[in-house]
Amino acid sequence: MNTVVLNQALFEAAVATLPADQLAPVRNRAAVLFSNEGFPSTRDEDWKYTNMSAATTASNDWLSEYRTSATIDVNAQQNQATLQEISAQIDATWLIVRNGVVDSLQLQSLELQHGLTISTLADSLNLPDIAIDTALSAFNAALLEDGIHIRVDADLRIERPLGILLIDDPSLRTSQTRIVIDVGKNASLRVIEVARSAVDGNQFTNAVTQIDLAAGAQVDHLRLQDRGKEHIGTHRLIAEVQAEATFSHNAFDFGGALTRNDVIARIVGSGASVNLHGLYLGSGKQHIDNHTRVEHRVGPAVSKEIYRGILTGQARGVFNGQAIVFEGADGTDANQANHNLLLSDKAEIDTKPELEIYADDVKCSHGATVGQLDEKSLFYLRTRGLDVAEANHLLTRAFAAEILSSLVVEEAHEYVQKLLDARLAELLGDDST
Amino acid sequence: MSNMLEINNLHAGIGETQILNGLDLTVNSGEIHAIMGPNGSGKSTLAQVIAGHADYRVSAGTVSYKGEDLLEYEPEERARRGIFLGFQYPVEIPGVNNAYLLKAALNAKRRHNGLAEIDAFEFLQLARKKMSDLGMDPVFLNRGVNEGFSGGEKKRNEILQMAMLEPELAILDETDSGLDIDALKAVAAGVNALRDPARAIVLVTHYQRLLDYVEPDFVHVLSDGKIARSGDKSLALELEEKGYEWIREAAAG
Ligand SMILES: Nc1ncnc2c1ncn2[C@@H]1O[C@H](COP(=O)(O)OP(=O)(O)OP(=O)(O)O)[C@@H](O)[C@H]1O
Ligand SMILES: [Mg+2]
Repeated sequence: MNTVVLNQALFEAAVATLPADQLAPVRNRAAVLFSNEGFPSTRDEDWKYTNMSAATTASNDWLSEYRTSATIDVNAQQNQATLQEISAQIDATWLIVRNGVVDSLQLQSLELQHGLTISTLADSLNLPDIAIDTALSAFNAALLEDGIHIRVDADLRIERPLGILLIDDPSLRTSQTRIVIDVGKNASLRVIEVARSAVDGNQFTNAVTQIDLAAGAQVDHLRLQDRGKEHIGTHRLIAEVQAEATFSHNAFDFGGALTRNDVIARIVGSGASVNLHGLYLGSGKQHIDNHTRVEHRVGPAVSKEIYRGILTGQARGVFNGQAIVFEGADGTDANQANHNLLLSDKAEIDTKPELEIYADDVKCSHGATVGQLDEKSLFYLRTRGLDVAEANHLLTRAFAAEILSSLVVEEAHEYVQKLLDARLAELLGDDST
Repeated sequence: MSNMLEINNLHAGIGETQILNGLDLTVNSGEIHAIMGPNGSGKSTLAQVIAGHADYRVSAGTVSYKGEDLLEYEPEERARRGIFLGFQYPVEIPGVNNAYLLKAALNAKRRHNGLAEIDAFEFLQLARKKMSDLGMDPVFLNRGVNEGFSGGEKKRNEILQMAMLEPELAILDETDSGLDIDALKAVAAGVNALRDPARAIVLVTHYQRLLDYVEPDFVHVLSDGKIARSGDKSLALELEEKGYEWIREAAAG
């Protein structure tokens, strides 16, 4: 149970300080909604294993000396260095977002392909719908200083991936990030979200990414979370997928103390296709919770979901994969799998697939496994001269390979592999049990 | 000619099951030994004990390799010191690239011998050469280790590893089983290419047909966990004709 509650007076005071821009009505609506619900509690079925007390505490600390992100400018140089480091390794058009707020100078300096428009939400000429479908997304919207609106005109193929470097600076205890992406008919876009911490600290980041794919659109979305060891992060991805559109999502969670990801993919047009691939690594006392929901509202359509986890030390993983096939969504083909590798006795995973089928003509499958490294393979590699550490590394890397090979944003492949290797080495050296 | 492998009174088992019951075997460098024997007599167990499988517990006896106590070493140490085991059932390891493993294995050995790691180009040249000698398509380099390989392809892959690593002591556990004629010839050629006064080879086999291509210096029959009879290559022919029953009877005395 959560014993900490958010200070309502501080919350309302903070909302009141935000500007009277075009986001104001949304903020006010969201504030009411959040006030009614409060932070999720472990009594909620969806939050059974994930405790938001620390996030609530961080939020209270933030609100008690409330400052907007725009007023914070520490670590600016270091953030630029991080941007340089990553942009040198992933060829993309990079935006830098600090504590949820885009660097507007840098945004103005970008040369974008014609038909690709990026603005702040407050400045957007067509303010999109700001989703407030849960308490956390309402908390995000109520305290949203600003967000990012990305649009691609119909029939345009954006060649270069768009990279968004999200840096959380713990000098603000809490931050809200909102990215809204609208991709027009038959247009395509590849997006890379890289989340990093400026310095290690127990900050709480509450993020929402909304992606709308018009008919025939294609979006490849990569989310790479490589934050500091003490970070608390929640991320909600809502994708709405129209007819014949293709949405691919690749998620890699390497860092953070407590991470909760929600993915909602709504198939609203026939012939659509959704691919979700996730890899999560945990050591020490890391807690990683992935909740996904694929809604097949119409058919025929295809969804494929594969999540893999590697946990050691006393790490805790949660996977809940929901597939809902609505009445009449005939011709649905939904596959889901979650495989876990537990490298220590104290590592733990709770995995639960949930299928709800209300249509007749459907093909659905799901599977979940929990296992250890294969002893036979380990011995085989050792008889070839590889030491235990190297053999373990190869085998865990092999376990992760299926997810890595499904990464569709080619430009990021090498970078992710490098991070993965470094993280695996750290994981295999974990003796925190 | 020096002593490569010397096994004295070896007793080994798994869990409560005793499998090897006082096995003696001496293999000198330059020699090829064939070990035959009925199913379940302990041939693979012997091979696994030599390779260092931790599940097999040695309860008595000694195994020395080039004059050192082999049982003291971890499996990877044994490999780096020149021991190679060709598995009766090679393991499939999806997601581990075949070329990557070959290179890692080669480099582990080179590092042990104080040599620099092999460069990528040189490695590829070498691997391609060895593969063409074995009649293996180079695409196998890019596959997962034994992943989806046919039985014969797995055995060829074991021989490829052996050919790359050039072990001083190679133990091939039924590498000839399940091979077509061409593959058998390729495997035999791989073994013969390794034949050298400084090396020794132990072939575990059920069939004379491999020995038609690779002529052994000694043939042993393993029965009930010990060597029941040793002889020259004619012993294999005799076994082919008479089976194992007469040896068991003779052993029972
Ligand atoms: N892991 C194990 N657990 C239990 N028994 C085992 C194990 N490994 C081997 N054994 C037993 O030990 C005996 C010897 O097995 P081993 O595999 O060494 O025989 P082998 O001579 O290689 O036989 P084959 O010719 O069929 O390959 C058999 O009776 C086998 O069942
Ligand atoms: Mg055997």
